[in-house]
Amino acid sequence: MSVSALSRPGERDRPLNKFLEIDWVFCLMLILIAGAGGLIMFSVAGGSWTPWAAQHLLRFGAVFVVMIVLAMTPIRWWFEASYPIYAVGLILLVLVEFMGATAKGATRWLDIGPLRFQPSEVMKVGIVLALARFYHGLSADSARESWWLLIPLAMIGAPTLLVAHQPDLGTAILIGATGVAIMVLAGLSWRLIGAGVLAILIALPPFIMFVLHDYQRKRILTFLNPEADKMGDGYHILQSKIALGSGGFLGKGLGLGSQSQLNYLPEKHTDFIFAALSEELGFVGAGAVLLLYAGVIFMALRIASTSHSHFGRLGTAGVTATFALYVLINGAMVMGMAPVVGVPMPLLSYGGTVMLTVMIGFGLVLSTRVHRYSEVTSGRGSLL
Amino acid sequence: MSEPSIFFSEVNQRQGGFNRRAFLLGGITGLGLGILGGRLAILQAVEAQRYEKLAASNQFNFRLVPPPRGRVLDRHGVVLASNRPNFRLMVAREKETDVDGLVRNLCELVPIPEDRVPRLIKDIKRAAPKAPVPVMEDMTWEEFSRVNVRAPELPGVTAEMAEVRVYPWGGAFAHVVGYVAKVNSDDIDAIKEKGEPVGPLFYNPGFRIGKQGIEKAFDERLRGEAGGKKVEVDARGRVVAEDIGGDIPARPGDEIQLTLDADVQQRALEVFGEDSGGAVVMDIRTGDILCMASAPSFDANRFVRGLTGPEYRALANYERKPLLDKCMLGVYPPGSTFKPVTAMACLEYGINPEERVHCGGAWRIGNTTMRCHKTHGSQNLHDAIKNSCDIYFYTMSLRLGPDRIAAAAKALGFGQTFDIGLKGGQSKGLVPSTAWKAEYYKTRNPRNTKWFAGETPSYAIGQGALLVNALQLCVATARLANARKALNPRLIRSIGGVEQPKGSDVPDLPFKKENLDYVRSGMAAVAAAGGTAFRASQLGLGDILMAGKTGTAQVRGYKGIDRKNTGKPWRFRDHGLFIAFAPFDDPRYAISVIVEHGQGGSIAAAPKAREIMRVALLKDPELRARIEKPLPAPDLSEGEEFEDGDNLRDAAAAAAGEAPPPGPMVEE
Repeated sequence: MSVSALSRPGERDRPLNKFLEIDWVFCLMLILIAGAGGLIMFSVAGGSWTPWAAQHLLRFGAVFVVMIVLAMTPIRWWFEASYPIYAVGLILLVLVEFMGATAKGATRWLDIGPLRFQPSEVMKVGIVLALARFYHGLSADSARESWWLLIPLAMIGAPTLLVAHQPDLGTAILIGATGVAIMVLAGLSWRLIGAGVLAILIALPPFIMFVLHDYQRKRILTFLNPEADKMGDGYHILQSKIALGSGGFLGKGLGLGSQSQLNYLPEKHTDFIFAALSEELGFVGAGAVLLLYAGVIFMALRIASTSHSHFGRLGTAGVTATFALYVLINGAMVMGMAPVVGVPMPLLSYGGTVMLTVMIGFGLVLSTRVHRYSEVTSGRGSLL
Repeated sequence: MSEPSIFFSEVNQRQGGFNRRAFLLGGITGLGLGILGGRLAILQAVEAQRYEKLAASNQFNFRLVPPPRGRVLDRHGVVLASNRPNFRLMVAREKETDVDGLVRNLCELVPIPEDRVPRLIKDIKRAAPKAPVPVMEDMTWEEFSRVNVRAPELPGVTAEMAEVRVYPWGGAFAHVVGYVAKVNSDDIDAIKEKGEPVGPLFYNPGFRIGKQGIEKAFDERLRGEAGGKKVEVDARGRVVAEDIGGDIPARPGDEIQLTLDADVQQRALEVFGEDSGGAVVMDIRTGDILCMASAPSFDANRFVRGLTGPEYRALANYERKPLLDKCMLGVYPPGSTFKPVTAMACLEYGINPEERVHCGGAWRIGNTTMRCHKTHGSQNLHDAIKNSCDIYFYTMSLRLGPDRIAAAAKALGFGQTFDIGLKGGQSKGLVPSTAWKAEYYKTRNPRNTKWFAGETPSYAIGQGALLVNALQLCVATARLANARKALNPRLIRSIGGVEQPKGSDVPDLPFKKENLDYVRSGMAAVAAAGGTAFRASQLGLGDILMAGKTGTAQVRGYKGIDRKNTGKPWRFRDHGLFIAFAPFDDPRYAISVIVEHGQGGSIAAAPKAREIMRVALLKDPELRARIEKPLPAPDLSEGEEFEDGDNLRDAAAAAAGEAPPPGPMVEE
């Protein structure tokens, strides 16, 4: 039974119909990506499910269920929860600032009982929801150019700066860029876009020289001249390129990637897993994974464009933007086109937090799809 | 979108704007992904080969495989220098290695002396990261396996089997074969100066370079070429696999066979004991050097391991100079062993050998009285050689003049070095002549450049400025005994299986055949009844006798008539010399023996020569057959003298009326 705009509201709200309305092709692509990740983890562990592959797949299974549940959650609930989530995220970020746990020179974590928890991950979803809700109630003209826009600017700026101060440059860029993407999607005027780009270009050099930490600056300099630091960060980039390039067209075969198996490839199961995959499965495998990512992104954008609520549109597009940024930044880094920043390849890399965040985001995407005909309160003009 | 959207007039400005922007951002994302894909294609398709090479250089490493050093053999294939396995323990430091803890752990595994530990820790810390430092050599098999079992928990520790040079004869060949030792910076500089590349082999902790003798002269031939073992290593440098097919095998060094005979050489060292001097034995048919022993010697194996300071000082400061090669580098006045040379000069000059000179025990020249060791009476040349009469040669020397003596001496091999394959290590000695004196004193003392007649008599009896070494003495003896060829000594029999030219492929001596035969017979007479070396010539080998000439060389001026040596400090005693060939009737081997401060040729040198010559003769199969052949019937009682007990047994068997067993006897 298919649901249409003509279906009666009660019809559409039946759980079975909602379940069937979930975009299963989209889900299949997510499963394929995560599965590919598990496969490579199995391989680089020397043909072993431990320590990574099994846990990766089990986690994915768990968050997949969470995503399905969220997909069937009325979009209205998302709408209601958006500001509180953002507020909680912001408070936690402030708490991190004062009582966060420090590891490897960065303060990113909060210890809640036995759990260690990274509030910046909450903010990745929070910023999307909050901005979507804000723009939901803003007229197109105001979204183009108005003093109202100082509010989303502040909403983006506060968490971005807090995260950057931890310091976690990768996440800060993700949050900031996602926010900016939503502003652009919401109809920001080209004039302001141009002004913003100009401002960033002017502010970037002094920012790099004076605000960044030494190690962050070093990473950027290393990226610009990898030969200067062959054993440090340059080593990572070079080894990644070697692993990737030596894979060739068809790859060396599962379990046969010498560079990843012998640990020449650093962080082979997390940030550099795409290089490991490229080495063992070649251009064919890596290209297929890139196509899967492209598929996920374009299906999500299509879902966004079919939504009848502005909140759903912007929320879905924001999640997609985050996801696309992950893929582009990590891909560029692995292929030696960007500095080494700690941004994993979503769903492919080992790591529970990012996976959870991304899948919650996709929960919103699927919920937008399932509830695409649902009108959310005509909130135009009402900010809260 | 299949659904009609007219119901939703909220399809408004905002949705249209959003769709345009979403399309735009989607396009940018698509562009980004396209760039990633393109980059992927460039890396994996266009540049794949380059990265494959880089990957291989990451993954594979060649571990140096040192080549086995070529062996050095004697003429019968007896090993003089070889390699033995050595279990070596090495530590390669990594940046984060806790060196002190590591060494402490190692001390529990293998017995490292407590006093070496601080030095060891310093060495390891000072070495470059990943450069292996040898910690212990010659571990037992148990220690070796214990370390190997524990190696995974001891980062950087490797126990490997390597080869180490060994000289099974210890000191017997230390001067000729030489030794190998650790490479020092001078060696590296010398190689660089030659313009040759200094390969990684030179920095291998087990590598040794030839420092002396054959080991030095043929270092490159003996060394071989290092190979590589292709291994797969992980990022931390640990070997995870070996790729047998990818190995580059090491090329072993060439084998060098010498003309030396280990038994003769060993006997020479034995008979010298703590006496100082040298002995050279040559085959007069081929020029092969059978023995070239310098005593006292030193254990060459010590140098391979590396001498400690006190060890080296003990060797270097010992009065009898064990490190000096007395056969080639030690030069001595030849004394009476030079008389055959002077005799040769007389004959060539045309002096009638039957001319007689009266020896009254003393001889005057100018204001000086020179003495003979005995009063010989009337002497012809033959008698003079046989009796070693100084006065005969004094008299004749005035007629000869120094240059004729020098010419004969040079023709017989004095005053020159021989190309026996060793680089350097030979001293020319000195053969005086008028030209030499003029040249020598031109700068030192211009008023003394003229040769005085009074210098010639002592020259004629092998004293004065004349200096020779044991090798030259032996060559001269061999040339006289050969009586035809200007034999060259040969030390290297073959290199890598390639036979080297014989020492007999040379022109004849520039002497008349009858003159050579005359001198040879004169020397033979020394061994005959009544000769000065009659006793020493008895070899105990049946009718095989040794023809020789003793010599006693002064090392100090005799004041008055005090020619006694006894009771003098060692370094003031006379040198004892002896030259000989045997068998005297059909010469095969020539020998020269010099005993430093041995007090006299017949006391110190001749008995040694006799023992050494016996071994040389007994090892010659043809001569052995001759020795074992019983003498004619009337001399049955002399059977006792035979070395071989068989003859006695045969005699006993014959006495018991049994048929003698088949053997050499049957031929008679």
